Amino acid sequence: MTGTYVIKESSVYHMLQDAYRERMHFEWDDLGALMNLDHSVVLQEARVFNETPIRPRQSRLLLAKIVFLLYRGDSMSTTEATNLFFSITKLFQCKDMSLRQMVYLTIKELSTISEDVIMVTSSLMKDMQPTSEITYRANAIRALCKIVDPSMLPGIERFLKGAIVEKSPLIASAALVSSLHLFNEAKDVVRRWGNEVSEALNGKSLSQNSSFFGSSSSQGQVVSTSNIVQYHAIGLLYAIRQHDRMAVLKLVQSFSGQSKGSGGWLSGGSSSSSVLRSNAAHMMLIRYAVRVMESDPSLVPLLHTLLEEWIRHRSDMVSLEAARAVCQLKDVTDKQLTPAVNALQLFLSSPKAVVRFAAIRTLNVLARTHPEAVQPCNVDMEGLITDSNRSVATFAITTLLKTGNEASVERLMKQMQGFMAEISDEFKIIVAEAVRSLCSKFPGKHGLFLGFLSGVLRDEGGYEFKRAAIEAIVDLAKHVGECREVALGHLCEFIEDCEFTKLSVRVLHFLGEEGPGTARPTVYIRHIYNRVVLENAVVRAAAVSALAKFGAAPKADAALQRSVRVLLTRCLDDRDDEVRDRAAWGLRMTGGAEQTRSRYVRDDSTFSLAVLERRLVEYCADPQAAKKARFDFAAVPRISRAQEEETRHRVRLDAMDQVLTGSALSSSAAAKDDVPQSADTRADGADRLVQYAKQLAAIPALAAFGEQPLVSSQRAVELTESETEYVVRCVKHVYERHVVFQFDVTNTIAEQVLEQVEVAMESDDIDGVLQPVVAVAIPVLRYDAPGTAYVGFERLAEDVPAASFACTLKFIVKECDPATGEPEDGDDGFEDDYSLETAELGPGDFMQATYIPDSEALWESLEDGESIETFALSSFSSIEECITKVCDLLNMCPLDGALTPRSKAAHKAAFTGKWMGRAKTVARTRMTYQKGAGVTMELAVRSEDPAVSELVVSAIA
Amino acid sequence: MASILKAILDWLRSLFWKEEMELTLVGLQNSGKTTLVNVIASGQFTEDMIPTVGFNMRKVTKGNVTMKLWDIGGQPRFRSMWERYCRGVNAIVFVIDAADHGKLDQARAELWSLLEKPQLANIPVLVLGNKNDLDEALTVDQLIEAMNLQAITSREVACYSISAKNQVNIDITLKWLIKHSSSSSAAATSSLLL
Repeated sequence: MTGTYVIKESSVYHMLQDAYRERMHFEWDDLGALMNLDHSVVLQEARVFNETPIRPRQSRLLLAKIVFLLYRGDSMSTTEATNLFFSITKLFQCKDMSLRQMVYLTIKELSTISEDVIMVTSSLMKDMQPTSEITYRANAIRALCKIVDPSMLPGIERFLKGAIVEKSPLIASAALVSSLHLFNEAKDVVRRWGNEVSEALNGKSLSQNSSFFGSSSSQGQVVSTSNIVQYHAIGLLYAIRQHDRMAVLKLVQSFSGQSKGSGGWLSGGSSSSSVLRSNAAHMMLIRYAVRVMESDPSLVPLLHTLLEEWIRHRSDMVSLEAARAVCQLKDVTDKQLTPAVNALQLFLSSPKAVVRFAAIRTLNVLARTHPEAVQPCNVDMEGLITDSNRSVATFAITTLLKTGNEASVERLMKQMQGFMAEISDEFKIIVAEAVRSLCSKFPGKHGLFLGFLSGVLRDEGGYEFKRAAIEAIVDLAKHVGECREVALGHLCEFIEDCEFTKLSVRVLHFLGEEGPGTARPTVYIRHIYNRVVLENAVVRAAAVSALAKFGAAPKADAALQRSVRVLLTRCLDDRDDEVRDRAAWGLRMTGGAEQTRSRYVRDDSTFSLAVLERRLVEYCADPQAAKKARFDFAAVPRISRAQEEETRHRVRLDAMDQVLTGSALSSSAAAKDDVPQSADTRADGADRLVQYAKQLAAIPALAAFGEQPLVSSQRAVELTESETEYVVRCVKHVYERHVVFQFDVTNTIAEQVLEQVEVAMESDDIDGVLQPVVAVAIPVLRYDAPGTAYVGFERLAEDVPAASFACTLKFIVKECDPATGEPEDGDDGFEDDYSLETAELGPGDFMQATYIPDSEALWESLEDGESIETFALSSFSSIEECITKVCDLLNMCPLDGALTPRSKAAHKAAFTGKWMGRAKTVARTRMTYQKGAGVTMELAVRSEDPAVSELVVSAIA
Repeated sequence: MASILKAILDWLRSLFWKEEMELTLVGLQNSGKTTLVNVIASGQFTEDMIPTVGFNMRKVTKGNVTMKLWDIGGQPRFRSMWERYCRGVNAIVFVIDAADHGKLDQARAELWSLLEKPQLANIPVLVLGNKNDLDEALTVDQLIEAMNLQAITSREVACYSISAKNQVNIDITLKWLIKHSSSSSAAATSSLLL
């Protein structure tokens, strides 16, 4: 689409140039006035359209001005546009070709603003008749498809179908592109044109055209444009068939070339006639092939051979695209990568900058996941560092940084410093990110990195770039102990002259966290206090908070504390109330007891922000809530700083992946399909709780159980193999007196629609503690659209049942058309069931894994509610295996290092959680491993509710 | 020789006396506007069953007069736009299906609401009762009665009963139209400036 836009714009530009020359001729006014066109003046001039006789040249110029205004982004009111539109319709009486072309163009632009654009339908239909001139027909088709509404479509269907198979590429392309636009509005109608589109795709328009147009000059033009029909046709054909995997596969294979015997898939000998002459179409074909491979892994080997063949295609474009496709395949092996990387390596020395850029960009992305596969290109890439194209050079360096070793990094950094000033901000960010990832890879080189980063911080640059550099330094300071003071020094220097408030705040906060632990905190205090004197209110407030942290640090000696108090006292006179508040608070804290200080100033946990946000929104939305009770912060789960950091880190990596591969061929399109799944697997516990609670709140049958579940499972349990007809995942929710099983069901058969889907559960619970009360079925389950069924049980007694449930999926099957997903008429379907794996319920399901700050103190205070047991677990062959299993069973939040035993023989771990979301519980375990005897484990649990301790211990048994 | 001279004379006269006129054809759907335009333009009757979506524009030259015919669709959704195309024309032609008695009331209402528009004051109106080849078609007098044309006083009105199919009375229609080619051109230019 960008292409057509550019063409339009350039044609307008040319017309304006014409107009300019004309104006110069009549000595009207100069180009400046033309560029400063005034909206209202142009609308005034529109009277020209109503004159008799029509003045084509003037009208055309005026239309060009109108289109120019619209492209420039001027907005036009509906009335203005409608009046203009009706004046323009008067121009249909003039047969001047260039005027008519301009009329078409303007109508297309006005079609979204003006009312009653349907008025020109008849006129446009007349122009697209086979008796009209080619230029008229093509443009009329494009304009008509813009103004037509879906209800009118059947009326023009015949003409469009004819135009699609038209010999003239101008008309065929116009019809194909217009159909693609219409496809979004009237899928059913456009779908009927599949045969015509295939004909356009396979048509031998090349030879026919050259014979059709005799003269050699027009022949050249026709040959170059005729291939574009294939490009447009393949796009439309894919749009029509995209939901039919086999049809797309057939499409891909029909162009697989004659050399391979894969034509067997095709009916008849059509494979011999199908040749893709358009490189752009071939690229699209490769993308479609990749999508097929993504949706059906069993086809990967088959299609991979095709891709490999296409890497050897004589066109750069196709070859690059194929190589890129291979590089971006999931689970690609090094052996599969070799041909692609070899091809890219050759392109690195191409004389065309754009080819070099495409190749190095692909390698750069590949280097993130397979650095070793890219290594063979290192020599070629080093040659590109001095490339005259700075974008190529930047990518070369960042790729080399990923593939390089410790020795080469130094050299590269030096080279990079040389041209940092010459590249755009966007690339500077990429460089900063690359350096950031290097920091964690080669901590030994910290001096080098810090020097580089502080150097670039002094240069000019935008916020994003500075932020990336700051984050890189912060990472270094955090993870590499030796360089912390130097890094902090650089940060201090940076905030002395920083134009970005947000970054100043970030740095001040970090100084407040890290500074107090250093040998000479006073140095930083001086820098921080400078901010209080010199900066705006936001930065001042952040600086005051940082100062308070210095004062409240456990290491702070009396002299330091006194100085901080003096500084904070001065801040009490600040102009800004937030700054004053923070200063007062800081003074109070620095003077307070050690315990309060650690509780408030150096809090190592934080609320799970997603949950907190939702609770607050709910609280504010309910007008009664404020009267009933105060907002209950205790109900919001807490996570440790480390966990929060981890979440942020992951979000950052995801974002970076997006930046680097977002525009990549398959991911952008495939992302849509991936979203639900990846969101599920990636979302951390808290985000997921929010999702669950939202879903559950929407089911009226479950509302009686309580406002929201007290505890929800951390992970969904798969009750089927992943590659089966139906995929079912189970999540458990515990309410005050109820337990709800949530089943997320996905139908993976395109030819079926399931109705009345429910899960039948049979419990082995002999005591009958659990009574089934509610079952919520999925009314209709279409292909690939997950649905959720629920089964609710009531707990009749206080005790916590451990039970397993035999589950069966019951439903009514109806056949359907995979394209539309609508069941066939008159198909009543038949009942069927499908056995699932057993669902288990245990004490762990009643535990909410929450991080509890200061678990040490809690442990001491809960001496009474202790329960201890020792287990001999001979079935485990290592500590790691055992601790993972224990963590699974307990379903509690592991504290620092709980899951990563340092020694193979012995390990200590601690867990925290809240029973039923209320009773705080701490579990400690010690385990030893001896070859032959397995693991011996002692588990001690203390809880606010003594009964809970016993239950938790019993979870292991 | 004389004939050549006469031809040259005609040509010269046409240069000096060449006239342009604009006409707008309106009327309810299926009254025969597009068919009439085709008959005027090509002299042939073609059965055209496709309703006009929007408008058709035709240029017809009769003698030394070039007629621009704006044929506007008659479906309800287009009726609000009739006025835009009637502004400043030399004459408005209102076509009625004289054989469709059920729609006469509707046609009268549309005609009168169009004539009430201040922008269209003084523009001559020609009312044509089409399809007089059908038995149940109204006569001219019945049509004048049904349309209440005698009540129009402020402008020139004519009414003919025609048949586009059998080409009945097309000649007098054209004569009437050509007569109005120049008479109201002054009014046309003045209304353009509005």
